[in-house]
Amino acid sequence: MADAMLLNLVLFLPVVGIVLLLFVPAQSEGAIRWTTFWVMVVQLVLTTVLYVHYDATVPGLQFETRIPWIPAWGVYYQIGLDGYNILLVLLTAFLGPLVVAGAFSAIKKDVKLFYAMVFLIQFAMLGTFVAQDLFVFYLFWETMLIPMFLIIGIWGGERRIYATIKFFLYTAFGSILMLAAVIYLVYSLQATTGVTSFAFADLNRTQLPLSVQLVLLSAFGLSFAIKVPIVPFHTWLPDAHVEAPTAGSVILAGVLLKMGTYGFMKLGFPLFPDATRYLAPLIMALAVISIIYGACLALVQNDIKKIIAYSSISHLGYVMLGLISLDLIGIQGAIIQMVSHGLTAAGLFLMVGMIYERCHTRELSAYGGLAKLLPVYSVFFMILTLASIGLPTTSGFTGEFLVLLGAFRSAWPLHVAGDTLPLAFAASAVLGVVLGALYMLRFAQTFLFGAAKVPHAPVIDLNLREKLILAAIVAAVFAIGLYPDEPLRKTELAAKEFQLRVTGAPIPGSAR
Amino acid sequence: MSWLAVLTALAPENVLLAGIVVLIVMEIVTSKAHSSLAVSLVAVAASAAAAALLYSGGYAATPFPGHYSIDPAGSLAKAIVLALALPVLLMSRDDFAQDGQFHILVLSSLYGFCLLLSSDSFLTLFLGLEIMALPVYVLVLLAFKRPESPEAALKYLILGGTATAMFLMGVSLLYGGSGTLSITAFAAGLRSADTMATAGVTLVLLAFFLKGAIVPFHAWAPDAYEGASIPVTAYMATIIKAGVLLAALRLFGTEVVSRPTDDLLAFLPLVSIVWGNLAAMRQTSFRRMIAYSSIAHAGYLYYAFLGDGSTRLQAVLFYLVAYGLMNLLAFASLPPGDDDTSRDRLDNLKGLFQRSPFSALMIGMAMLSLAGIPPFPGFVAKFLIFKNVMAAGYTLYAVLGLVGSYLGIYFYLRVIQYMFMSADAPAPAQRASRRAAIGAGVLCLVPVLLVTVFPGWVLARL
Repeated sequence: MADAMLLNLVLFLPVVGIVLLLFVPAQSEGAIRWTTFWVMVVQLVLTTVLYVHYDATVPGLQFETRIPWIPAWGVYYQIGLDGYNILLVLLTAFLGPLVVAGAFSAIKKDVKLFYAMVFLIQFAMLGTFVAQDLFVFYLFWETMLIPMFLIIGIWGGERRIYATIKFFLYTAFGSILMLAAVIYLVYSLQATTGVTSFAFADLNRTQLPLSVQLVLLSAFGLSFAIKVPIVPFHTWLPDAHVEAPTAGSVILAGVLLKMGTYGFMKLGFPLFPDATRYLAPLIMALAVISIIYGACLALVQNDIKKIIAYSSISHLGYVMLGLISLDLIGIQGAIIQMVSHGLTAAGLFLMVGMIYERCHTRELSAYGGLAKLLPVYSVFFMILTLASIGLPTTSGFTGEFLVLLGAFRSAWPLHVAGDTLPLAFAASAVLGVVLGALYMLRFAQTFLFGAAKVPHAPVIDLNLREKLILAAIVAAVFAIGLYPDEPLRKTELAAKEFQLRVTGAPIPGSAR
Repeated sequence: MSWLAVLTALAPENVLLAGIVVLIVMEIVTSKAHSSLAVSLVAVAASAAAAALLYSGGYAATPFPGHYSIDPAGSLAKAIVLALALPVLLMSRDDFAQDGQFHILVLSSLYGFCLLLSSDSFLTLFLGLEIMALPVYVLVLLAFKRPESPEAALKYLILGGTATAMFLMGVSLLYGGSGTLSITAFAAGLRSADTMATAGVTLVLLAFFLKGAIVPFHAWAPDAYEGASIPVTAYMATIIKAGVLLAALRLFGTEVVSRPTDDLLAFLPLVSIVWGNLAAMRQTSFRRMIAYSSIAHAGYLYYAFLGDGSTRLQAVLFYLVAYGLMNLLAFASLPPGDDDTSRDRLDNLKGLFQRSPFSALMIGMAMLSLAGIPPFPGFVAKFLIFKNVMAAGYTLYAVLGLVGSYLGIYFYLRVIQYMFMSADAPAPAQRASRRAAIGAGVLCLVPVLLVTVFPGWVLARL
């Protein structure tokens, strides 16, 4: 019970933070920044305690809280940690202090509102991950939009209004269809079993005909696919990333995009297994298209934020590929890839923000030979680039390798049986790795090497704050790359459960 | 019943009546009615308290059998809507400083509202509706600040009169068919396949559509909302809308709506949702925008009548509370302007967050809630309605309605964009203290937070 309270504390700490900020006068910006930072650090420490105490050998929910919230509708405030969300919760808590620290020098306007919004989005993101009740999940899911809308719209770049309204309208469209599907799903559960419940555990038991599953999966899937984003629902992402302030981009790339893949993993696929298997070739095709299309677009961009934005589309394509491979290794790889992308993309966006603060341009062609001018910056940048490419010993390697391994493992028997399509998809996905190396190395080459030029000389190298932020990310990247066993153990049972649910096999030990 | 019992049963109405009398006397006796705001506040608060007491005591009585009955559900609705009138009165302090007429008219209108919530016959229902609506025609015109106001009032009056005529025509058809003036004739008409009864039901329903501003009977709303002063617009958007819907609810009861009425009841509200939200996008006046938004919201509210009626009261009442609170919050927080027209312009909101962050946050919250974005009360209210529509088997209408509500998100967001993301703020207008308006906002904020955090607790009590 005390453990469950700890998870509630972690979840509501950002709300406490907002209340604290209310008492800090708007003029004392330093106090606002440090209050936010330390609250985030406390949150990270508590989340780490939760992570350590999480028992990888027990299936199902841990640190669970279940309190009736809207009894008339069977809505419970139900939260808990499981193999699905444990890593993502840790990732969110880990990025929190880094986002705050990264924005120390960049955000000068409406500082109080900014940090309140960072708290709010942190609250909503954690809530979405830990929610175990569809109604609560949807509440948090939608709440995320508001702070992000303001973060991009108030502190963003030139075309911030366009970008933020596009972001909101895109994601809200998916959500509204998901809402219709949620209501329909709950109503079907009520009609067939007589139970009115939004609990994931209950919804997993609904038996729906394939045709209904297809419609509902499309509604849920559209909402998640926009969030991931999967090509062709991706066009909001480059705009949002380019216009967002650094902190916004970091949150967006680091955590928000994982909402989509997490949604597929936790809800979309397991709730509608028949439809998922039916649509698997389509989903696989879209995943591979995302990988290659994102990579191709990243190859030709001149805006450094856009390169990373398109690379995100490509990297999240791997996550989708791993999930839909329905192979245990592939699923595990997808989870690792989510975390890995969260770390590397967040790190790269932070680094872009750092150079932007110094030179005020994001044009790739304006830079060159930074290795000579900013040696420390360049070292960090190179490490993150290599991690993004997926060099062994970094987290990127673990994720991509496992995903591809899983994709081939599940495709091969099908190939032998005569269905070559999955194998072709898996083989094409390998092309994405090559393209990934190509665009990131092109980026790094122009950026770091060659004749030294910066648009805004002289530039000074990273200060201590920036070094510490990047060191933390790099350490995490290597930790996962060198000891993938630890996070894999924590998620293994969930990955197995996901696999069994979607493949339709009986699930051993599913108590509820 | 003894006269004392009648007095008790009619306590909320009597308190309002006493308030009106006191206000009239004050108007006559003193040249400057210094405390008419205080009197009307006390009267409305006492009336709401009386209704709440009747509700909590589970009081049920029929002081005038066949015409007038008190039941707990009606008392609860009275208490809630009367409580919603308190912020309106507070808000009026800026526009109608101490205008006795304003308060007399509002109290009369509220009296009519109470009547219709207890009416058992078409006669009392009609009386209630008209007593509620008539003062508002005058209110629109009262202390008018722009040349369009008389035109708006006239338009409102004529269309309101048309609705009245349609209502009476429908009622006479129902009376002709059933031989009774009891409002149960309406529910019976819903069940019956008789042409005359169906025609009567349809006419009454259309009258309610007109009064509730459902497309294609909506044209009066934008003009009337824009022509009236801000507290009167707030009053129309919340209390009058609530009155019309609750009167309709009184007629429908828990009767299942079946064919062919259900098509009418699903289709026109759907058109309203879509059209209201589309038309609102183009508005540059805040009140016109709210008017179109109210047209869309009327659509959601009439959606709640579909299907079986077991949760109808709960859905409508919850929606009215959420919707009313949000409108009041927005109107109360509206910043001052040089004159009425400039105050009303959406441009006046530009950069509001820099000028007064509290107002900007309040309006922002109201807009998000009206758009139905979680976690604000508007979401739970909308969810409840669409859940019922879906459960009643109108899946397509539910999905289309949700998509229609999506169309509305843009113009609500635009308000937020103006307030938070525009640097070019107009020079702040110098005006008298707005403490009363801020007070009205705070008065709304408390129940909003309550509904946001504990929707289950609130729902269980409706």
